[in-house]
Amino acid sequence: MSGRSAVPGVQGVALRARAAGHRRPWTRHLLGYALVAPLVLLMVGVIGYPLLNTVLLSFQDQGVVGSNSTYVGFENYGRALGDGEFWAAIGRSGIWLVGNLVVQTVIAFVTALVIGGNGRWARASRTWTLFPWVIPTVAVAVIWQWLSNSNYGVVPKAASAVGIDGLGSPFGDSALAMPALILMNSWHWFPLGAVVIYGAMRTIPGEIYEAARVDGANAWRTFWRITFPLLQPVLFALGLVGSLWSFNIVDSIYLVTKGGPADATTTAPVFIYNKAFNEFQASDAAAVSVVTIILLAALAFFYIRVARPKEDQ
Amino acid sequence: MRLRKVRRAAVAALALAVVLPVAACGGSSGPSGGGDGDKTLTLWHMEQPPNRVAAFQKVIDAYNATNPEYKVQAQVQDWNQIYTKISSAVQSKTQPDILFTIPDFTTYVRPLGAVRPVTSLVEELDKEHTFGDAAKAAYRDDDQYWAVPLYGMVQMLWYRKDLFAKAGITEAPKTWSQLLDDAKKLTSGNQKGIAVPAGKNLATDQVIYSLMLTGGAGNFFTDSGQVAFDKPQTVAALSLYADLLKQSPSDAGNYSWGEPQAAFNSGAAAMAIEKGQYLAPFEKESGRPASDLGCAPIPQADTGGQPGSIYYSNAAMVLSPDDARAKGAEDFLRFVLKPENYGQFLNAEPGLFLPLTEDGATAPSWTDNEVIKKYQGCVDAMLEQSKTGGLFGFVDGQYVDSIGKVSGQNILAQVVQRVYSNGESPAAAVKWGQQQMQEAVSR
Repeated sequence: MSGRSAVPGVQGVALRARAAGHRRPWTRHLLGYALVAPLVLLMVGVIGYPLLNTVLLSFQDQGVVGSNSTYVGFENYGRALGDGEFWAAIGRSGIWLVGNLVVQTVIAFVTALVIGGNGRWARASRTWTLFPWVIPTVAVAVIWQWLSNSNYGVVPKAASAVGIDGLGSPFGDSALAMPALILMNSWHWFPLGAVVIYGAMRTIPGEIYEAARVDGANAWRTFWRITFPLLQPVLFALGLVGSLWSFNIVDSIYLVTKGGPADATTTAPVFIYNKAFNEFQASDAAAVSVVTIILLAALAFFYIRVARPKEDQ
Repeated sequence: MRLRKVRRAAVAALALAVVLPVAACGGSSGPSGGGDGDKTLTLWHMEQPPNRVAAFQKVIDAYNATNPEYKVQAQVQDWNQIYTKISSAVQSKTQPDILFTIPDFTTYVRPLGAVRPVTSLVEELDKEHTFGDAAKAAYRDDDQYWAVPLYGMVQMLWYRKDLFAKAGITEAPKTWSQLLDDAKKLTSGNQKGIAVPAGKNLATDQVIYSLMLTGGAGNFFTDSGQVAFDKPQTVAALSLYADLLKQSPSDAGNYSWGEPQAAFNSGAAAMAIEKGQYLAPFEKESGRPASDLGCAPIPQADTGGQPGSIYYSNAAMVLSPDDARAKGAEDFLRFVLKPENYGQFLNAEPGLFLPLTEDGATAPSWTDNEVIKKYQGCVDAMLEQSKTGGLFGFVDGQYVDSIGKVSGQNILAQVVQRVYSNGESPAAAVKWGQQQMQEAVSR
């Protein structure tokens, strides 16, 4: 859908009207405005107001959330921008974002290709592939902690059975905690990507593959020359939404490591949460939030500029 | 005609848009109620395990059955959420009438402005039941008591007598060097000598603090409230902790309350330092007889050591908005501390919740409990250990207002993590801890 009207001639009429300088009376649009008004009000209420509140809070010196405060100008921003721990958290957020993006996309793509087949196993796996997705995040956190616990976890027990003793949970190791969390989170969310990619693959006409086969293209070449390019718009949208979603994850990380060990998994959202609710520095947390929002918006803008599929430009 | 229809539809849609959010905001249901005709007192507690919820509810039901003017309704809260929740509840005047607390949480709630002093009630209860000094002290500030003490908790050294016997160890360690030697002797194959936590959590805060107390580093504030964390005794306690972590399971960096206990009960660790929750499930979870569970005071530093352990009383604050409701809340707390009811309340977690009153400690409602009877020796040892216990910010008669900022950030646990996970030296980590604490209390 490129925005072209489905009714022949309508677009031409609209264009002619606009060219002639005719504008419809505003009353004609009243119903349209009225119908979108509830949604706009809702958005203003649940996004606009908290955002404005956060910005206002970032110029105050509030400690405990909701306590009295006074205006301090840009003091909190100065402290936030000069805080090495904040920039370290932003760096870990970058690792978290890229790690999730890569791992989830690869697993999702492989899964979509597998379940896209026509065999009995492929058909059956279309259902159970969704399994990790439907498990609540809390349960995912508990399952992974149980699996890897050195005392009663299946993984250390299995390792011990083959002679590898003393294997501990990666979540307790500052070098392994972040990769382990990325793997856990990717396992939880890859079905979403797999289903979207699978759905998009089903829209590619079979004739194209047929023609490629007739031309002698092998599976590898078919994937890179047909499947991948035609999926680019979907992958672009998935990458954008998935990245923003991943960046903002707090629950999975907090449930398993609380940002530890020794801050090894303290991403920007976890850093903000700790500032507000453990260190009781609500205004500092608000300032850091605003800086993070700006960075995230810049990242999204950059991504759209660079990764947008060519046909949409 | 058509335009009129469009306008009518537009007006209806706009009206809906205006009404919906208003309707959404109108259905407020605060936790406390508190209206003039509302005769229900709300009680918030943070004891989430189902057995504790059920036991507390039994006591509440028994109280409500006496037909008081104000009946009590319990709502279970989460320790991780309560800081935010009570703040917004006080702001919106929907705070509970009774809020369970620990000393550092009280320092956080008091500035919100809703906590009522309960001095006359505490003095009355003290006269009737006799509180221990340690139970009350942490709740006294500005010549007032701010909470009614309800139950105590103290840490001990727990050890597996069967594993000690196998390793040829005949008695529990009394000093730090004995503790470390025994931990090394007991570490063999998949069995570790001890399980201590190193996660960024309160469990780690508390275990390292018990060792700090027995090493003479329990008081890390000066008389004027300045931070005095960076001292040789703290470094020594942290060095010991780092050595003990080497004899702990390899994922101790993520351990909190439950994991050391699971390791201990499964025989994967021979010792642990924790509170009395180790008693009740020991036989069932370990498959060993009760006689295999040993307990001892926290080992002391070889030089300059002193008896001690983290100890604090849990209490109840009264936050009722008016005098009548506050009187109702006080009546309920009087009921709980009556010896015939107190045991039932304490046995919500037998062995973990210790009595704070003299008549409570001898009340059959508590002593007749099967777990208390079975582990009488350890229960007595915990009551004895309580006498030398303390809590950071409240030792030596202190009342540090800003201690909540230190405990809220788990700075003690972070210091442990810097040594364990980052390989920092104990001295450097303690220096870092000093800076963090200074920053926390200064803002």
